[in-house]
Amino acid sequence: MTIESFLARVYTDASLRAAFLADPVGVARRAGLPEAFARHLAHVDRVGFEMQAESFAAKRGGGRRRPS
Amino acid sequence: MTDRFGLLWRPHHAADLLAQLDEIDVLEVIADDWLGRSRSEIRALRTLAAQVPVRLHGVGMGLASTEPVAQTRLDAFARLVGVVEPEAWSEHLAFVRGGGVEIGHLAAPSRRPETIDGTVANLRRAERTVGSRPLVENVATLVDPPASTMDEAEWTSAILDATGCRLLLDLHNLHANCVNFGVGAEEFVGRVGAASVAEVHLAGGRWIGPESDRRLLDDHLHDVPDAVFGALRALGAASPGPVTVILERDDAWPGVVPLLRQLDRARSALALGRATVEVPA
Repeated sequence: MTIESFLARVYTDASLRAAFLADPVGVARRAGLPEAFARHLAHVDRVGFEMQAESFAAKRGGGRRRPS
Repeated sequence: MTDRFGLLWRPHHAADLLAQLDEIDVLEVIADDWLGRSRSEIRALRTLAAQVPVRLHGVGMGLASTEPVAQTRLDAFARLVGVVEPEAWSEHLAFVRGGGVEIGHLAAPSRRPETIDGTVANLRRAERTVGSRPLVENVATLVDPPASTMDEAEWTSAILDATGCRLLLDLHNLHANCVNFGVGAEEFVGRVGAASVAEVHLAGGRWIGPESDRRLLDDHLHDVPDAVFGALRALGAASPGPVTVILERDDAWPGVVPLLRQLDRARSALALGRATVEVPA
């Protein structure tokens, strides 16, 4: 699994995201991500991650990717 | 030195924009809106490009990824560039999908050596396919990108150094990241190099989240804040070459005249910065 594949799933799947925010390193390890990536998730920005996921969900609901 | 100033093309406001073309040096067009369109529709875009310089701006490649961008996506972009013949094209330093899952917007990559390698490979393939090197844009993020091992300036500099791409510096994206994560805009520009900046984006946003941990969201629905004009002035003092400045407004359309007044402020800010540079005796 790639870094982006993992993050895309976590950003878009609310139940997976809840598990991830409770135990980011464990979820990453169980997903088969390289240890060098997984261990850097211990201090993930939980508040920002949830805000970002909600923002992405709103954009998907809008049906169109915005420029930035 | 001739800096140029323009707006993002919004098809729903075409009449409003076309009526003011004399005050617009350049238009930026979202490339993804035109991928898969008919030849006649794309010829209309080419007609627009014959009246005013056009830059094509991509939002859907997802270049900043360890996953290779689909060749079909690059080929479609190349065909559009071939017909429209824009003066430049650009894309974001972001990923938008992974493992076939579409995120729906621009996600900031984990800033790690693996994503540098993947991004460089994607950019080189994009350059070969399209036939020219893109400008690459920094993105705003609400989350400190997970599992990063370097900061945004270090990661971005590595991409620019490895590819020779120049930067499309979105000053509101940079401002948002600065206020959200406590870094300095001028420090970022100093570290990536002001000379690398070929184009600038201006936009606005709004605060979201609880008062104790609020974040600035780049939403393109609000006016450009004073801090961004200040950053443009600072860039004017540091940048040795001309830049193209594009004001991006998606919705909550205030009419083109208020947007042109913001472009006037941008002209003044950049000129003030230029004027602070000492001319050698």
